[in-house]
Amino acid sequence: LIINLRKIQEACCYEPTNPKKNQKQEDFEESDFNEELGRCAIRVLAVKKSEPVGDRIVRFLGLFLKHASEKDNALVEPEDVDTTEALPETPASRLTSHILSILLPLLTVKDKTVRFRATQIIAHIVNTLDSIDDELFQLVRIGLLKRLRDKEANIRVQAVIGLGRLADGGDADDEDEDSDDEVAGGILEKLLDVLQNDPSAEVRRSLLLNLPFTPGTLPYLLERARDLDAATRRALYSRLLPALGDFRHLSLTHREKLLRWGLRDRDENVRKATARLFRERWIEDCAISHKPAEDEAPPPGQVSAPRFDALLELLERIDVVNSGVEGGIAFEAMKEFWDGRPDYVDFITFDDDFWNDLTPESAFVARTFNDYCREAEGNKLQDMVEDKMPVVTAFAFFVQKHLNVLIDDVRKVALQDQDDAEAEEDTVQQEFCVEQLLHIALTLDYTDEVGRRQMFSIMRGALALAELPEECTKLVIEVLRTVCGGNAAGEREFCDIVLEAVAEVHDTILGEDPTQEDAEESFHSARSELSDELTPTKAKKNQKGGEDEDSSEVDEEKAIREIMVNMKCLHIAQCMLQNVKCDLEENNILVTMLNNLVVPAVRSNEAPIRERGLLCLGLCCLLSKVCIGNGYNLASENMTLFLHCFTKGHDTLQIIAVQILTDTLITHPSLLAPPPATQDASTDEPSPINPLLKPLTKTFLRALASPSPSLPLTACLAVAKLLLLGLLPPASSTEILKALTIAYFNPETAENPALRQALTYFLPVFCHSRLSNAALMSQIAVSVIGKLVVMRDEAEEEEEEMVGWTVVAGMIAEWTDGRKVVGGELCIKDPGERKDGAEEPHVILATEVLERALGAGCNKDERKPLLTLLSKLHIPSTNSPDSKYQAVSQEAFQTLHSLVAEAVETKLALDATSRNALAKLDAALLKRIGESDKVVASTEA
Amino acid sequence: TTTPTKRKEKEPFELDFLAPLSQPVADALYTPATTNSTISMPKAQWKSKTRNLLPDDKHFNSRQLLRLFLKPKARMGSRKAGNG
Repeated sequence: LIINLRKIQEACCYEPTNPKKNQKQEDFEESDFNEELGRCAIRVLAVKKSEPVGDRIVRFLGLFLKHASEKDNALVEPEDVDTTEALPETPASRLTSHILSILLPLLTVKDKTVRFRATQIIAHIVNTLDSIDDELFQLVRIGLLKRLRDKEANIRVQAVIGLGRLADGGDADDEDEDSDDEVAGGILEKLLDVLQNDPSAEVRRSLLLNLPFTPGTLPYLLERARDLDAATRRALYSRLLPALGDFRHLSLTHREKLLRWGLRDRDENVRKATARLFRERWIEDCAISHKPAEDEAPPPGQVSAPRFDALLELLERIDVVNSGVEGGIAFEAMKEFWDGRPDYVDFITFDDDFWNDLTPESAFVARTFNDYCREAEGNKLQDMVEDKMPVVTAFAFFVQKHLNVLIDDVRKVALQDQDDAEAEEDTVQQEFCVEQLLHIALTLDYTDEVGRRQMFSIMRGALALAELPEECTKLVIEVLRTVCGGNAAGEREFCDIVLEAVAEVHDTILGEDPTQEDAEESFHSARSELSDELTPTKAKKNQKGGEDEDSSEVDEEKAIREIMVNMKCLHIAQCMLQNVKCDLEENNILVTMLNNLVVPAVRSNEAPIRERGLLCLGLCCLLSKVCIGNGYNLASENMTLFLHCFTKGHDTLQIIAVQILTDTLITHPSLLAPPPATQDASTDEPSPINPLLKPLTKTFLRALASPSPSLPLTACLAVAKLLLLGLLPPASSTEILKALTIAYFNPETAENPALRQALTYFLPVFCHSRLSNAALMSQIAVSVIGKLVVMRDEAEEEEEEMVGWTVVAGMIAEWTDGRKVVGGELCIKDPGERKDGAEEPHVILATEVLERALGAGCNKDERKPLLTLLSKLHIPSTNSPDSKYQAVSQEAFQTLHSLVAEAVETKLALDATSRNALAKLDAALLKRIGESDKVVASTEA
Repeated sequence: TTTPTKRKEKEPFELDFLAPLSQPVADALYTPATTNSTISMPKAQWKSKTRNLLPDDKHFNSRQLLRLFLKPKARMGSRKAGNG
């Protein structure tokens, strides 16, 4: 076995080493030996690549050559250390040259095994030896470069392994003459090209692991984080990146992208590899540099003990102020970190000093630790976080403290005439800290009444400050909502408090009446000002402006301030409305707000104000109670307004309009109910149609077809919800589903991956969630194909790529497969348990397909995909055993069969596959109809 | 399982370095490819439009279909159930 093999190896080893020693004395034997070894090398070439022996011999050969040349060089070097000439010729180098020159011509033989072995040996020699003869080097380079385009992927892999080293060599020796650099550069360029373009993932992967790390290659290597092949992506995260050295040499963008791509990869192993990279390698890079010099480095393979400063640096290095915002990657990273580093979970503590001297990084540590522990299952971590976090009263104190700092910062920046980048940066950081604290505040337990009250008054005070930044405002409102308690009384209190704050903010910014009135009064004044729209304020403004020297400037400033007030007030209102669910009409204070703040904003000429106003109005509509009696409420009243905003509005307003329309319809489905039948039945009109329906459908279709990138996505999500909830009547559903399906296959939507991905999810989910949905799809499929035929012609003219018909047909067949509808899974296994009507969609589809294909208007281009689709449909030849579950009527089968028969007779199908499919369907239907006749006959008898 | 291992064991013995080349092997070694194109990748495969990279993942998930646009926190679940 292996022992025998070893013996052969040893024998080989012995043989060559022996003559080598002799070479020194008897020169003529060297050529014999070389001859002999070359002969042996040739023997290896025919060994199949699956044979491990072949690989072993190759490795042996390489090892021997390396050993021999080291020995030779050791003998030669002491004598001519400083010769500038190329490396001296030695027996080993001559042997290498001999073997290489035998192998080189074999790189282009027809037999792929020989090509593979030849490439492998050459690549191996190149990788084990330090130098080769210059002339041969050129030949090797050219030979391997040619193999880079070999038909066989595994030969390309070997070429890549060989060339990776050559590219490296040239790059490392900068002092080499230019020609060498150019050679290496040329190779590198070609290799990078292969890295991007080779169709074989294996080639790309070995290249990824064999290329040298240089600033020039790095972007190309990192780009593989999004390689099509999951194993290649994993290789990058689990092998290349850990070997790359300190991650801090990567640019910030690269760090962020790598984390984001890796942690959100669709392949679990890539995600795991990335998480390990982050919590084991990157933290270690930081930990080592923070370790006091006298501490010993941990033995290789072990990690450093937890260090708080290291964790802070790690977070700083991933720019937590930006990556730690909502939806940022730092969350996922830290979740994985806590999850994989129990040592840090145990180690971390938060004392008073910690809370007093917060930095963005430390605040983020506390917040993610808090989240991690509270979301964890089991009591251990929950208890731990209770122990480590301060009590509510103490925490409230810290929140207050940092809020104060933030407000001071904001004021300072506002007062500065020139932009002070540093102060602004400080404010951003402080804002981030406060946000983290507020996030923690959202999770605390407010059963302690003292703490609750304290937090309540702090939040209330903060909200009334005009300087509070938007994100903080949102969080403060959410905390307030939590603190107020979940019941209706709590909600009412919450609304009161927030609207008081709105009034106060309004007064502060306008600064017209700085004397502190009581909250109630100032609120009324705010309302009256707003309710009278712009006229009274303008009048006041003009009075003041007239006294000023350059009144226009002051006017402008005033106007800007007024916009700011409105924006701020609307934002508060919007955040509040998002957090309540009471009936609008029952809460007077909300109605007042609607009339005095929101309605004027909707009419404003300033686009941003109108947008926010509309949002608030939409939110109010959601809260408005439906009066079934007269069908009249805030929502129904405003539907036409929202439709109007879509027609006339700009991009952003259109998106908001679509969102509001959708949310309102979902909340008040009765808005789409057909109007009650008119009393006088004299008119012969068919059942009345809801007047909203037509403009609504038109709006959605227009939004879907919009050239803007974000509007079609919003519209797609919107109609997806409506369709899934079954809120639209059949006529609209059909039209919209058709538009969605065509959009899915339309080559133009390829540039909108978000839309594509939403459709990829939605279409099967919709079709497979209800049988009627699948049936709907089968009704539109034929006309969709008709459209796609036209589209394909156009696409070809513009040289756009469109998916093949087999793919299209396969997808439609799958979507309309009744057996895949929820509850129908069983039928696939056991045809006896066929779900009631599960085959209906395919029967409908088959009938539709044939009707169209047999029709006069159908040309060859259209018929072909139709028949492809037909061959993919599943229509079983046996009846359901229980005839009462026969949802598809006999007539339907009869109709279908006569269509099939006609298709066979007229030789509709041009190619063999379609002909066979038709014949098979014909036979199946014949059998089935015959069977049913029998059943009918037997029941009648 | 014995047969494949046996076969593999035999291979090294059969690889007789001293024996002359058998005819088929010699043929394999010295038959050059008729044209370069028979052993090379078709040119069409040299370039990949996508650079073999994945499209940008937008991380669509079903949660996006289960919530309102305006009130992302509120779930639509309750109403859906009521509707049957």
